[in-house]
Amino acid sequence: MKAETGRSKRLETVVSIILLGIISIICLCIILRQSPRITQSGDVPDLLSLTPQGFTAPSITEVYNSGNLYEKINGKAPQYTESGFERLFTQRFAGDNDELIELYLYDMGNLRNAFSVYSIQKRPQTEALPNTKFGYKTSNSLYFVHGKYYIELIAYSESEKLIEAMVQIGKSLRGKLEIDQTAEIAELSLFEQENIVAGSIKLYLANTFGFEDLTETFSSRYIIDGQAVTGFLSKRTNAAEADTLAKSYSDFLIENGGSIKKAINKNIGSTVKNQSLKIFDFYDTTEIVFSTGPFVAGVHEAENQQAAEKLALLFMNKLAGMVKSK
Amino acid sequence: MTKRTQSKIDRRRFLSRSAKAAASIAAAGIVAATLYDKEGPRTGIGSDELVTLRDFSVEHRPGKIMSVVKGPDRTGAVNQALDLLGGIERFVSQGDTVAIKPNVAFASSAMLGATSNPELVAEVVRLCYARGKAKKVFVLDNPINDPASCFRWSGIGKAVSQVGGKVILPRESMFRHTSLEGGKLIRNWPIFSEPLEKVDKLIGIAVVKDHQHSRASMTMKNWYGLLGGRRNIFHQDINTIIAELAMLVKPTLVILDGIQTMITNGPTGGSLSDLKQTNTLIASCDMVAADSYGCGLLGLKPSDLPYLGKAENAGVGTTDYESLKPMLAI
Repeated sequence: MKAETGRSKRLETVVSIILLGIISIICLCIILRQSPRITQSGDVPDLLSLTPQGFTAPSITEVYNSGNLYEKINGKAPQYTESGFERLFTQRFAGDNDELIELYLYDMGNLRNAFSVYSIQKRPQTEALPNTKFGYKTSNSLYFVHGKYYIELIAYSESEKLIEAMVQIGKSLRGKLEIDQTAEIAELSLFEQENIVAGSIKLYLANTFGFEDLTETFSSRYIIDGQAVTGFLSKRTNAAEADTLAKSYSDFLIENGGSIKKAINKNIGSTVKNQSLKIFDFYDTTEIVFSTGPFVAGVHEAENQQAAEKLALLFMNKLAGMVKSK
Repeated sequence: MTKRTQSKIDRRRFLSRSAKAAASIAAAGIVAATLYDKEGPRTGIGSDELVTLRDFSVEHRPGKIMSVVKGPDRTGAVNQALDLLGGIERFVSQGDTVAIKPNVAFASSAMLGATSNPELVAEVVRLCYARGKAKKVFVLDNPINDPASCFRWSGIGKAVSQVGGKVILPRESMFRHTSLEGGKLIRNWPIFSEPLEKVDKLIGIAVVKDHQHSRASMTMKNWYGLLGGRRNIFHQDINTIIAELAMLVKPTLVILDGIQTMITNGPTGGSLSDLKQTNTLIASCDMVAADSYGCGLLGLKPSDLPYLGKAENAGVGTTDYESLKPMLAI
């Protein structure tokens, strides 16, 4: 009897401890959720040390997570939170006469996510940043990717002095932030380089061209016979998935007002008969969709069908070569 | 051991365990009370505690509901736009207390175009005093970033003070709960309304901006700056909230600054290359009409902005701004 009582008491104690442990964990989660600015000590990069000569840091480093990112960038927040955003660190640097630079350091979790938000927001006709794989500058700002980080440096007025200061900050930041040097975006090498508009490659992580299932999709601009044309490609897990996705996207185009049309180019014409390639008239633009191996690819909203078909052929040949070599 | 000893021991154990359980429950209760979020959504607010925003609108005069001025100079354009509608005197009377609600959402320089231009805001304040003979002009907003920083870095705080206007920074005590009759989203929601209880006229000054969510931010979206609470949840139904704001707020006049338009990367922008010189300023008693004209500066049509249709269907205004025969000046 004594032994049984002892066992049941131990059992009750164990169960109680487990229940209290669960309640404690719930409480801790609530505390962490409701205190968005709590960060682990040593986790916030030392941005104050980036202060360039002749500047001061008039404020502390601000930290934002997905719960309160909107408090800093408002309506733009979902663009980041839906792309793997983890944290934003911001820091201001003040010069003379109200000169101000603001640094936005977005931790996007990985290189791919950082490249996505960088590429989608990239301004056209900008100057590439030297010694930077993904980076550009405008008359008052710098934008670049460094590993898992997407970085913006914005000056509140235009001047060479501020540009130089931002370049200095960017350099120091790259030296300070540890990144995975081996990370790369493999799909970038899949794009035909001839006639490509430099720096035009974008990565859509989701909802590409308004189609929910078209995830992890790259697009790029080409100049074909003087016409600007957008091509796209997405690498799926296998050929079956790619084929299914190509068909789904085709159905999506039809459901939204597209209609199938004939090819102009006889080379692509023979391809249409044999493979999944389809050409659509989509509100007086040309849309082309096909799959080859694990790739879904095509042309998006081209104004000129002939140029669109030429680009599609370029993509097909390049991707077919990739598939064959494997 | 006898049965009696066993039961005594059981009772003792029972009482001991009961006391421990009670202590645990009490401790849990104390922790819960400490963590209780007082700022959480209020429910059960009596209808007599809800405020209703006043109707600040003035009578529409046919042919003088909307004006559009083309040109690069904001100060000149706003004077001309107002004169085409009858002058500021038509809207602001002697002795009036006026509230101006510009876009001061971000702590960023006016140069970046994410906030209302300080010179424009100051000119409207000056006109209210100089020609409208206003008694007092307040300038207010509930910005996204820290309010004091926003008024400082946008330049609006300084510009307004220099012409005798008074900036009102939001404080919790200035928010009152309101419900929009028939509204889906604005129900028992805090708005920055206490300063508006003391004013006679309300003027909105907005910029034309691309917006990541709503595609455009103009005069109707400008009223987002009166919302309190965790208003970001409304982004999930952005078109409805903008339409409801336009139904809730009935201003005297709106001014839409399209002298420079943020055509991409809105609402924050960041690069000067996000801006395009569009040299257009609109003054209007009809927000829907103003925004319908303004969206053209972004390369959009009114049909591209669902909130315009929603507001029009609710009777707020018309997307057919041509029917108002707007006064044009080039």
